Parts: sequence; C-alpha cells; structure tokens
Amino acid sequence: MIDLLLVIAAAIFGIGVYGALSQQSFVMIMMGLELMLNAAVLVVVTFWWGTTGGNPSGQLLVIVILAVMAIEAAIGFALVTAVYRSRKADITEKLKKLRN
Amino acid sequence: MTPGPLAYFLVAAFGIGAVVSGWLVFRTDSMLRAAYWLMVSFVAVGAMLVVLDAQFLGLILILMMSGEMTIMAIFMIMFMMNPAGLNPMTMVHQHRTSIIAGVGSFLVLAWVGVVAEFPNRPAPLEDPTIALGEELLGRSMLVFESAGVALLAVMIGAIALAAKQGRFGDAFEGSEEPDMDVASGDRT
Amino acid sequence: MTALGILVQVMALLVVGAYIFVVADRLMVGTETGVRAALVYPVRRLSFLLLQPVTTTERPDFEAWILAPSLLFGLAAVGAVPIPLDAPSAGGDIPAGLVLFGAAMLIVLVAVYIFGWAPNSALPMIGGYRFAAMVLSVGIPFSLVVLTTAIPAESLSVGMIVEAQSNLWFVIEQPLGLPIYLVTAAAIAFWGPFDLPEGSDLAGGIAAEASGPRLATWRFARAALMVTLALMGQAVFLGGYLGPVLPGWLWTVIKTLILLVILASAGRTLARMRVQRFVWFGWVILLPLALVDVFLSGWIAL
Repeated sequence: MIDLLLVIAAAIFGIGVYGALSQQSFVMIMMGLELMLNAAVLVVVTFWWGTTGGNPSGQLLVIVILAVMAIEAAIGFALVTAVYRSRKADITEKLKKLRN
Repeated sequence: MTPGPLAYFLVAAFGIGAVVSGWLVFRTDSMLRAAYWLMVSFVAVGAMLVVLDAQFLGLILILMMSGEMTIMAIFMIMFMMNPAGLNPMTMVHQHRTSIIAGVGSFLVLAWVGVVAEFPNRPAPLEDPTIALGEELLGRSMLVFESAGVALLAVMIGAIALAAKQGRFGDAFEGSEEPDMDVASGDRT
Repeated sequence: MTALGILVQVMALLVVGAYIFVVADRLMVGTETGVRAALVYPVRRLSFLLLQPVTTTERPDFEAWILAPSLLFGLAAVGAVPIPLDAPSAGGDIPAGLVLFGAAMLIVLVAVYIFGWAPNSALPMIGGYRFAAMVLSVGIPFSLVVLTTAIPAESLSVGMIVEAQSNLWFVIEQPLGLPIYLVTAAAIAFWGPFDLPEGSDLAGGIAAEASGPRLATWRFARAALMVTLALMGQAVFLGGYLGPVLPGWLWTVIKTLILLVILASAGRTLARMRVQRFVWFGWVILLPLALVDVFLSGWIAL
C-alpha cells in the first residue's frame, strides 16, 4: 500500500516539476508548484498513516504544508499583479532582468 | 490496520484520477479547465487522505482548494491572452529539459518508494482528529502560531504589493491588455 | 444504514424539500394566484422547461455547461449526507461531518463560476465574478459560525452537535450564530436579497443563456441547496431532532420548514444590496461578528 501511494505521489510530483519548468505563464508555473505540494501532502500522510504509529506530528506537518500553499498562492498572485502593473509582463520571457 | 481490498481499490482509483487530472492541467488550452483540473487532482488526493483515515485533513484540503482554485482561475483569465482556449496554443519553453526533469524525478522518487524498506507501524484506529487538535494546541502550539503569524505577514505583504495605491502603480494601469509579442517586453 | 439507504433518503429529502421550497416561495409572491396555482407551479414550470426549445450560444464550453448544474445538485446532496434526521446513528453520521458540509458548500462557488463561464457570454460571466466576490467575502464567516457549534459539542460530527443541545439549543447559547448563518447561507445559495449573480440587472446573470433541461436542473439544484442549508441550520442551531412529544424526524421536518419559510420570505421582502456594498458588509460586519461568536462560545464552553 505504501509503495502504491508513493508511486502515485511521485507521478504527481513529476507532473508538477514538468509544469513548473516548462510553462511560460506565471500562473501556470504556480499550478506546477501547487501540484508538487499536493504530492508532498500525500507523501506526508502516507508516512504518518503507515510508518509512525499515528504520531500527530505528521498531521501537524500537513497543516504546515497547507499554510505554505496559502502563502505561496497569496505572495505569488501579489507578485504577478505588481509585476504586471510595472512591466506589463505576464510570462517569464518578459522578465529578462529583475532590476528596473 | 491492514488495508483491505476496498482500500487498495479506492487508493488506486483516486490515485489514477489525481495523476490524470494533474496531467490534464498542462494539456488543456482553457484556463478555467486547467484551474479546475488542478482542483480535481486536489480533491482526489483529499479523498485518498480520507481513505487513509485522515478524514479531517483530507476534507480541509478540499475545502481550501475550492476557494484557491477559483481565485487561480480568475487570475489566469485575467493574465492570459487566450483564456478560453478557443484557439489552440502552447506556451512552453525548455520543453525537452522539462520533460526529462519531470520523468527523471518521477523515476527516482518512485524507485525510492518501491525499493526502500519502511517500518510498518500503522496508525491506531481511534479518531486522529483529536490527536491533531491536542498536538496543535499543546506540544506544537509554537509551530501552529508561527504559521498563523506567517499568514498574517503574507496578508500584509500581499496587500502592500498589490494595493491600488501601491508602489507599483495605479490599479487602472493593469486594465490594459498585455502585448502579444514576447521580445518587446521589459520596457522600463 | 447502508450506503444505498442513505442515498435514497437524501434524494427523497432533497426532491420533496425542493418542491416544498418552490411552493413556499410561490406563496410569498402574492396571494392573487392562489394556493392551488402555487401547488402545481413546480410541475408546470418543470414541464415548460423540459418542452422548451433549447437555445445555445456561440462556442460554449459545452461539457462544463452540462457539468455545472449536476455538480451543484451533487454538492447539495453531499452536504446533506452528514445531517442526522432522527436519533443518532440513523443517517450517515461521520466523524468530520461538519467539515464535509463546509467543503461541499464552498465548492458551490466552483459550480456557479463554471455555470457563468461556460456559455461564453458576457452577462453570465459577470454573474460568475459577482458570485466569486460574494462567496469569498462571506465564506469565512459562514465556516466560522458553523464550526463554532462544534466547540461546546467537542466533536465535528453533526449527530454529536445535536446531542450537545439537549439542555439548550445553540440558537440561544450562540445568539450570533443563526442570524449570521442565515445571511451567509442565503448568499452562498445566491438566494433572496443576495441573488446578485442572477440579478435582473444582468438579464438573469449566470442563468441568462441557460434554457431547457439545463435551466430546469439548475433551478432544482438551487432549491435542493436551500434545503441542505436549512437542514444544517436546524441541526446545528435549532436542536435538530430534539423536541418533546413528537417523534424526532417530525421535529427535523418542522424546523427545516420553518427555516425554509424564513429564507423564502426574506428573499421576497428584503431589498437588494449592491455587490460592492455586500463585499464590504461581509468583510467589515459579518467577519468580526463571526469572530465575536467564536470568542464568546469558546469562553462559555470553558
């Protein structure tokens, strides 16, 4: 069961890596990141369920990952908005340099 | 507990659903569909967590993602030049590298998952939500509070970055469409 | 109870409840049509919609347009599953039932947004955006007042929450809870004073381009959603199946009907609020009130 779950999580993570690296649009990159975090949640719960004897710290880690997801989304969208306002950039190729 | 055949079947079904919908996120041209395929992937993982006795965490994951994915869809429709995908398009770069990286990370992680030996200490049967609550407001309260403070800081930071009268220009400047060609960007 | 039994029970409940709700709403419109016209109104309306020629738009997102009404009904059904109708263990009393209900009610946002997006038309899209703004501003107060009822019960199971009200209903113990719940529930079901996503200023908003079976399913799903929201409201605030003399299920029915009539009459009497003001109302008035509710309930529970 743990093997199966880990293979599924690895597949989700691989798709996330592909998306985050290949997409040009900022928002699509964020979707790749979210998929990777999704896989992380699955792995953490798998190990919590199968190998730790129900140690609640495993569940706590999931709560922390959920907070990280929210933080990533909030800061990501705020940055996209700010960059779009100042540079009219919506894809990574338009941001050749980060300084003004 | 040892998982029964029903648990195996459910995990496999939801797992395939999560992987396929995750893949479709990057295969569809419609931004709304991309955002909601990602949500389907999250809902499938949430269902897997419910099968793994982490009922509260799975449902919280679904609850959180439904709001977040709608915000994501709104942003994608705002920032993409062809949000409905009425004309097919591909907006990818370094495609070959990305595929190699994705497949490579899958193979390595799956290999680790299959080959490595993990201890077999399954979670006890009683409701894990109570244990989580006691952990959150007991031993690990500092972690929990830190997450809360971090979220507060992020709220302030996001508003500072994106507010109407912010450092990065007026909100109405954002109402212009992005220019279509890539090369002429970065005009500051 | 078996899974099939729960399924049949929930479906019967939602169909009958939706019928009653539509009739009640019809009776609120005015008395000149008469009670008999109101009683047959749902059937007449349904047969009209099913026989109506179906219009479509230019290049709609066809699959999404079909999916959205079914998704809305499915969410109403999922939200109704954890609510016990009678004594404990009847119905699917699952440990984290309240969270299941909350998750289902927040995915309503997805169904409505898809329904606004799918016709590829401007007015439904604006309706979808309106609904997103509304739900994002009332979603937190909604979840907070529902989850607050779990504090005195020390459980997320709806059955345990009902049991915890055997001394005092939470409508009295948490006086802020039910009013905030009704306001936010009406907004989540885009009903009554908060039907801005379907507003007449948008020529029907999200439903402007829908017709035929699609619109019939959509209306039915919305009525079912109201039933689910009323069921949960009576379970967590009005003591659910608890009550003297009468059997438990009858108390559930009576209390659900009371909430349905309140919601229906509010929809026909209260004035609309502009969406900008509603967003302000959600964040500035409802959210602090919901936090006060959480604080007071926690204080009382301690």
